[in-house]
Amino acid sequence: MNKENHTPFVSVKDVAMWYPYHGKRQQKGEKDWIKAVDGVSIEIEHGEILGVIGESGCGKSTLGKILTRLENPTRGDCLIDGVSTKEMIKKDAKKFRSTVQIVFQNPFDTFTPRDTIEKILLRPLKNYSIGTDNEDRRRICIEALEAGGLRPAEDILKRFPHELSGGQLQRISIIRSMFLNPGFIVADEPVSMLDVSVRADIINMLIELSKSKDAAVMFISHDIALTRYISDNIAVMYLGRIVEYGSADEVVKSPMHPYTQALISNCASIDPEDKQETISIEGEPPTPLNPGPGCYFAPRCYMACEECYKRYPEPVVSETGHWAACARIGENGK
Amino acid sequence: MERLLTLENVNVSYVNKDKKVYAVKNAGFSINKGDSLGVVGESGSGKSTLAMALLRLHDESRTEITGKALFEGKNLLELTQEEMNALRWKDISVVFQKAMNSLSPVHRISEQVEDIYRVHEPHASKKEIEERMIYLLKLVNLPERVYRLYPHEMSGGMLQRTAIAVSLLHSPKLIIFDEATTALDVVTQGQILEEVVQMEQEISMTRIMITHDMSVVAASCNKVAVMYAGEFMEIGYVKDIFKNPMHPYTKGLLNSFPSLKGENETLHAIPGFLPDLSKPEPGCVFASRCPQASERCRREKPACQELKDGRQIACWLYQGGETHE
Amino acid sequence: MKKLSIKKIWKTITGDRQLLAGTIGLALLLLLAVAAAAVATENPYHYGKDMLVGLGENGHILGTNHMGQDIYSMIIYGIRTSLKVAVISALISGALGVFIGGIGGFFGGKVDTFISELINVFMMLPSFFLILLIIAMFGNSITNVMIVIGITTWPSNAKLMRAQALSLRERTFVKSAVAMGETKRQILFKYIIPNGIFPVIANTTMGMSNAILTEAGLSFLGLGDPGIISWGQMIYTGKQYITSAWWISAFAGAAIVVTVLVFYLLGDGLNHVLDPKYSRKRG
Repeated sequence: MNKENHTPFVSVKDVAMWYPYHGKRQQKGEKDWIKAVDGVSIEIEHGEILGVIGESGCGKSTLGKILTRLENPTRGDCLIDGVSTKEMIKKDAKKFRSTVQIVFQNPFDTFTPRDTIEKILLRPLKNYSIGTDNEDRRRICIEALEAGGLRPAEDILKRFPHELSGGQLQRISIIRSMFLNPGFIVADEPVSMLDVSVRADIINMLIELSKSKDAAVMFISHDIALTRYISDNIAVMYLGRIVEYGSADEVVKSPMHPYTQALISNCASIDPEDKQETISIEGEPPTPLNPGPGCYFAPRCYMACEECYKRYPEPVVSETGHWAACARIGENGK
Repeated sequence: MERLLTLENVNVSYVNKDKKVYAVKNAGFSINKGDSLGVVGESGSGKSTLAMALLRLHDESRTEITGKALFEGKNLLELTQEEMNALRWKDISVVFQKAMNSLSPVHRISEQVEDIYRVHEPHASKKEIEERMIYLLKLVNLPERVYRLYPHEMSGGMLQRTAIAVSLLHSPKLIIFDEATTALDVVTQGQILEEVVQMEQEISMTRIMITHDMSVVAASCNKVAVMYAGEFMEIGYVKDIFKNPMHPYTKGLLNSFPSLKGENETLHAIPGFLPDLSKPEPGCVFASRCPQASERCRREKPACQELKDGRQIACWLYQGGETHE
Repeated sequence: MKKLSIKKIWKTITGDRQLLAGTIGLALLLLLAVAAAAVATENPYHYGKDMLVGLGENGHILGTNHMGQDIYSMIIYGIRTSLKVAVISALISGALGVFIGGIGGFFGGKVDTFISELINVFMMLPSFFLILLIIAMFGNSITNVMIVIGITTWPSNAKLMRAQALSLRERTFVKSAVAMGETKRQILFKYIIPNGIFPVIANTTMGMSNAILTEAGLSFLGLGDPGIISWGQMIYTGKQYITSAWWISAFAGAAIVVTVLVFYLLGDGLNHVLDPKYSRKRG
């Protein structure tokens, strides 16, 4: 790809989200920060699914909220087709909302409990003047529901959200987002609250949409196997930073960063004979309270050296574009 | 091998004013000493209800239980609460999903452990209890200082480990993990499972692992029981069932998990949804979602049959011991 | 939320004893207010010849006052005043509270800081004296009394609504409405208010009994509307005759107690039924 004159579809530029910390450790004149997201830059193309994985508290959900502008970052910006989303939302909020959509983690709480599915689905159609009249809009809803495998659609329209299952609600949530024909969808742990046997439906629906509508998808998850299944590329986050990025297969099969290695080696497999050597790391991810100056992972890393504590390592890029931010890459045979 | 727990025809139903929900139907299985049984199922499968019923921790006014659960010759379902209290924590203990909620936030771990320990051994000395607990903390890879901490000073993983250690205080014969690792991060979950398996090589214990995650069972159990809509579909050794699942539901469930390193095969969901548990159908509970269901499946309920490799299966496809694929 | 059907509402009402008692009481009061002309034995505005007649004499069931008005008929007509005051002032107070509290909680930031302070200021004001002041300045018509009660009691409703809005704002369905590009106004009226209004409804119903008491209190102090019949005024005028004609004040007082109790039961019952925590406990 020619980097010089190609504008990536979604481009995240040095985005950070810091919250002031009011704790007992605070000293006069110094401000403590919780760095939920701390300098993330990443690009997503049309039709690409980018998986973002990490443990709880690594900032992956905050990143999703920043990209959809449900939160405003402390620093940095996100560009869509080269246009700053900060400007977009100021100029024409509706247009931005129809370009960027989000699928939430909890389908049971995505819809207002007081309205029927019909009311819920008609609302965005009216707001965006899709369809000529209510009759036409109802027809659009029914067609969309049936295409999404929700039958009988007439019956579903009459239901209240609490009368439907999580899988059905999550499908309706995606269908509603697709009414606006978004170019970029953030899926924030869309299946983690669903039963295993219906997860595949939602996953396959997202893949299908990304391919047929050429939409960019950011798939946020803590489930590595699932993320590898759905994604083209994977970014691994730790304490608000991306520590490794590459194609899904490369990241999972030959992880470069010690954190990714530990994460993958600890991932339980459904094959009982697949007893791999696990890499143990100490403790759990700490709160991102003033991390650094060195590598954020160094205190838990099994191969950290003095150098690691001094400054944040530069990313090491392989020929395939797979990179990791670690000072000791190549020293452990990977 | 010695039988520790045998369930026969256990039924649990919730009774409401105007309806009755059949949460567990006809549960029957047995656990030998030293076994680790994973009970897997999705939401609404009745797995947690069954565990609560075994521990008699359910709301007695709204629950109806029939059947037998023989634990060393005693029927757990017929004991009085006093007799049950004598068993709980000493012979049978449990670890819940959120250890945070089972530990008091205003007392040090040491104080709580002393209280719990003295329920069954009122004359135990502080020293004795401390030694026992520190030994257990080491088993779950925690430093000694944890004994003096307050729960809020610990991370989620440490709390869960502490809860496991506490549950082992009296060397129970049976320990039930009710989604005990579900709320944890991948890395912590992986490590705890590994520790539990290692620990079992040191001390003998029998474990029931209630979970919705097949990979947890694969990593930590030798037997597995698959539940759906309150009924057991397939019970057998992990090595057999994961390699060669026979019940269509088990197959569907295993197909729903993507492989981590293997080929990227297309995932398939199981179509349809859970039947209404307040309106029992005459046929197999899974028939409405089963790709191989026949007329008979919708009409008659298949009984649990034992096959040659020792697995039990409730499916018309395998009735009479025949194994046609 | 459950689908609202008449059957379900009936079941809910009969399921809670307080709510049932309150509903029956309110229905009776409404019936009496509507059919006052038929139920009353005389025109209460009519000054008859029988002055200070005792119970049951000359066909006056509850006697008469010093002007010869029939007490029983006055009590019946007094229901109209009390209900009117209760409902209208509570509506004003509820609407103001929901709107102001909803805006504060939903918008947050500086708007919320301002609204919280405003609520605090109003809560600290000794409202009864404020009411006295306004009545003294603008005259004592029943309309003024209702408006004044409404605008001095909204802060408690606003506080409740603000707390609801604060927690609803974090719910996924509100976030998803933002992501769907709905405007703040749409979100406030379609999501925040409908989902958070129930505690305010319960509180407002309880507030109705306070409104009745306040009106009675004003009348008792001689600041009520002289052109209408109200229980408070009956007590006020009966005060002088309390030793010789106790029935003038006593029955009006009893009527106030009963009506206040009805609204209190209704409010408390609604509180039980609408509070999700409570309904979960009851299954």
